[in-house]
Amino acid sequence: MAKHPTPLLDQLESGPWPSFVSDMKHAAELRHTNPKGINQQIPEDVIDDLLGLLEMSFEDGTTHWKHGGIVGVFGYGGGVIGRYCDQPERFPGVAHFHTVRLAQPSGLFYKADYLEELCDLWDMRGSGMTNMHGSTGDIIWLGTTTPQLEEIFFELTHKHNQDLGGSGSNLRTPACCMGMSRCEFACYDTQLMCHTLTNEYQDMLHRPQFPYKFKFKFDGCPNGCVASIARSDFSVIGTWKDDIKIDQAAVKAYVGGEIAPNAGAHAGRDWGKFDIQKEVIGLCPTQCMSYEGGKLEIDTKNCYRCMHCINVMPKALRIGDERGASILIGAKAPILDGAQMSSLLVPFIPADDPFDEIKEVIESIWDWWMDEGKNRERLGETLKRLGFQKALEVCGIKAQAQHVKEPRTNPYIFWKEDEVPGGWTRDINEYRKLHQR
Amino acid sequence: MDETEARQHIVDSLKAKTNKSKFYLKDFYTFLPDMKKMEVGKLVNKMVAEGTLEYWSSGSTTMIGLKGAGKQHATEEGE
Amino acid sequence: MAFVSSGYNPDKPMENRISDIGPRFYKDFLPPVLEKNYGKWVSHEILEPGLLVHEAESGDKVYTVRVGSARLVSTEYIRELCAVAKQYADGYLRWTTRNNVEFMTPSLETAKKMKADLNSRKFDKGSFKFPVGGTGASISNIVHTQGWIHCHTPATDASGTVKVIMDELFDDFTNMRMPAIVRVAVACCLNMCGACHCSDVAVVGFHRKPPLIDHEYLDNMCEIPLAIASCPTGALKPGKTDLPNGKKVNTILVNNERCMYCGNCYTMCPSLPLSDKEGDGVIIMVGGKVSNRISMPKFSKVAVAFIPNEPPRWPTLAKVVKKIIEVYAAEANKYERLGDWAERIGWESFFEKCELDFTHHLIDDFRDPAYFTWRQSTNFKF
Repeated sequence: MAKHPTPLLDQLESGPWPSFVSDMKHAAELRHTNPKGINQQIPEDVIDDLLGLLEMSFEDGTTHWKHGGIVGVFGYGGGVIGRYCDQPERFPGVAHFHTVRLAQPSGLFYKADYLEELCDLWDMRGSGMTNMHGSTGDIIWLGTTTPQLEEIFFELTHKHNQDLGGSGSNLRTPACCMGMSRCEFACYDTQLMCHTLTNEYQDMLHRPQFPYKFKFKFDGCPNGCVASIARSDFSVIGTWKDDIKIDQAAVKAYVGGEIAPNAGAHAGRDWGKFDIQKEVIGLCPTQCMSYEGGKLEIDTKNCYRCMHCINVMPKALRIGDERGASILIGAKAPILDGAQMSSLLVPFIPADDPFDEIKEVIESIWDWWMDEGKNRERLGETLKRLGFQKALEVCGIKAQAQHVKEPRTNPYIFWKEDEVPGGWTRDINEYRKLHQR
Repeated sequence: MDETEARQHIVDSLKAKTNKSKFYLKDFYTFLPDMKKMEVGKLVNKMVAEGTLEYWSSGSTTMIGLKGAGKQHATEEGE
Repeated sequence: MAFVSSGYNPDKPMENRISDIGPRFYKDFLPPVLEKNYGKWVSHEILEPGLLVHEAESGDKVYTVRVGSARLVSTEYIRELCAVAKQYADGYLRWTTRNNVEFMTPSLETAKKMKADLNSRKFDKGSFKFPVGGTGASISNIVHTQGWIHCHTPATDASGTVKVIMDELFDDFTNMRMPAIVRVAVACCLNMCGACHCSDVAVVGFHRKPPLIDHEYLDNMCEIPLAIASCPTGALKPGKTDLPNGKKVNTILVNNERCMYCGNCYTMCPSLPLSDKEGDGVIIMVGGKVSNRISMPKFSKVAVAFIPNEPPRWPTLAKVVKKIIEVYAAEANKYERLGDWAERIGWESFFEKCELDFTHHLIDDFRDPAYFTWRQSTNFKF
C-alpha cells in the first residue's frame, strides 16, 4: 500500500514509453522490503514522499522545491546542490534532499560492476533515484541529507576512485561524444582530450574562480552529437584540411542500390531508388561535387566539410587525413540577451595529446574573462559586450575572413591610436597655419 | 600586503558590509585591488578550505561569505 | 537506521582526504572489441531500428542495441540494465547524449536475442522498460531537464511531459520513416538546462506572472541587495511597505512590466515565489539544429506562444507536437531537417500547414536581434 495516493501520477503508468512512475513505485517498495538488507542512512520512505510531493505539484501546478544553499563537501564549491522542500511536515523524507553530481567517464561508457557499486552506495546513503545523465553530462544523484554528503564523498574517493562534478561558478564537468571508441567520423580523440583537460583543470572544476559557469564540450566532427556549438562556452569540433577519401567502387555500389544510403537510416519508408545527383550532388551546400561517367569528384578547395555526403555514403567516403579541430567560443542558453551559439575563434588547431596548443587558447580566454567578465556573465555575453576582436587580441590570433559570415555592414570602425599614422595628438597651431579661425 | 594582512583585510571588509553576507568573487577583487585577481581567487578558496569563509551555491552560481553569516544560514544548514 | 561511518572524521576533515581525482578513466570501461579497434573504425550501418553494426579496419564488427530510457531512473532500473549487460554484452554498457542506453556485442546472434529480450521486458502496468529504437531517421529520446521532481524554478514538469510526448511519438522511436533525424527537447523554464534553443521540436516551460512578494517575511528571510542584484532586467528595487497591522517593513518592489519571469530572484530569496497554476505553462519552439550538415546550425523559433499545463497527460501539448511532426513527415524532402523545411516553404506556409495560429506574441520584440527577424522584403506568400 502506497504511503500517499497518487491518482494523477498513476495515469503516467500507461502508454508504451518507459514509465518513471512505475519505476519509482517499484523502487519505493524495494526500500521497504529491502531484500539486500541495505543499511539505509536516510528515511526508508523517501521515494514515497518524493512521489507524494510530485503528485502535489501535479495537483496544484507548481513546484515545491526551494533554492540552493551552503551545503557541499569541505573545500569544494561545486558538485553538491542544496535542495529543500516547502512541505517538510507532510513529506519529511524529502525535507532536505540535496543533489550530488558525479563526474562521468568520457563517452558515458561503464562496466556493469562499477555501476552496481555506485548503486549500492546510493541505496545506502541516498534516495536511490538518479538522472542518467544530467544535461551537462554528470551522473546526477537526486536526494540525500546533509550528514551523508561527506560520507558519500569519502566513499567515492576512497573506494571508487570517483570524484564529484561541477556546479555553480565553476568549470562544469566537460563532456564529449563517443569519438574514436566507436565512430569512424572522429577527427580527433575527443575522449582523451575531455579526460585530459578535466583532470588538468580540477581546481577550476571544484573551486569557483570564474564570473559564472564555464562549459567545455568536445565534438569529434561537424555532425555535433554532443551539441558543443550550442551548449558550451568552449566548443572543440573535429575537422580536417585535405581531401575526403573516396572509394569509387563503393560509390558505384551506392548508385547501384547495393548499399543502403545514409547507413540505412531511412529504411522505415520507401523513398524510391537512391539518386546520387539529387541526394548528394544537389544537396551539397557548396556545390563542390560532381558525379559523371561513374566517377565522383570533390573539389576540396571549395568543400566546407558539412558531413552530408559522408553521412549518406559512409562506406564510400571517409574524412581526410590531415585532422585537427576548430575552436568556437561563447554558446549559451537564452537568459539574458537571447541564446548564443559559439563563434569561430581558431579555424584549425592540432588536437593531439598533450593538447598544449588547446590549453594555451583556453588559458588566454580565461585570463581575459576572469579579468573582464561581470558577475554572472557568460563568456558569450562578455564577447558581445567587448567585441570579438578583443578575443582575437587576447589570444594573439590574427583576424581572417573565416572568422565572419560576412564583413560588418556599418563603417563605425574604432581605430586604435597606434594604427593611425602620427597618433591622435595634434598641434592646433599647426592646423591654424592653414585654416583661419 | 602579505598574505596574513590580505586575509585580515578580507575578513574586515566582509564584516564592514552590514546589509549582505554573500559576495561574488569579483567583490573580493575590489577589496584587494593591488593583488592579482587569480591570486585573490586562490586565497579566497584557501580561506574556504580553512573554514573562515564558505560557499553558497544556487546550483548555477556561487557566492562567498563569512562562515555562518546571513539570514538564511540557520534554515540552510540542514538538520 | 544507525549511522554508519564511511571512515570520514568530521573533527579532522582534511585527514586522509582525497580530492581532485576527476572522473574514472574511460578506457577502463570500454568493451574489449572497442578498445582493440579504438580509432580504427571504418564504417557503420543500421541493420534494423535500434540495431547498428560498426566495422573496423581489422575486420572486427561490433553490434549495438540501443534502447530508450527515462532520464529519471532508480538504482533498481540501473541494476537491471547491468544484468542485461552481463548477460549479453560482457558486462559493458553506455549511455548516449540523449538518455538512450547501448549494449555492444561482437555477435549478431547475441544482439538479436538481446533485442528481443529487451523489447519483452515491461513494467507491471505495461510500459516498456527498454524499448529498442532511437536510430537513424527516427524520433530519438528527448533531452530534458528536472521539472517538478527536483527543481525550484520550473514552470512545468519535465519527466511527465516527456513521458506523454514519447507515448504519442512512440511508433517513430521504433521506426525510421522521418525525412531526417528529429531532435526533441524539454526544458522546464527559460534557463533551459536542456538544449531547447537548437532542437527540431522544443518544449519550454514558461511563467507568465511576476513574483509574489511575501512582504511580512521578506526582510527576515532574504538579503535584499542580493535579490535585487540577481534580476537580469533590473525590475527589482528596494522599498518600504505598510503591513495590514500598521507595521512598516523593508521589502522589494517589482516593476511588473520589466519582469521576464526567469526566477533568478526566487533563487536568491524564497520570499519571491513565482510559480502559479494559471500563469505557468509551456511554449513550443521548432526548427533548431546543432549539426553543420547541409545548412548551418540554427536556433529554434517559437511556434506556439502558450499552452497551459494540463497534468497528468498534457493532451493539448501532445496533440500539437504530434501534428507538427506529422505535417513535417508528410511534406519535407529526404534529409531535410524540420527547420530547413520550414525555411524552404516559408514560415507563413509552416503555420498554415500545421494549422497553428500566428499571434502577435510570435513577433520578436526583445532587444536588438528582434529587427533581424522582421521581413525586410516583399518576398512572401499569400
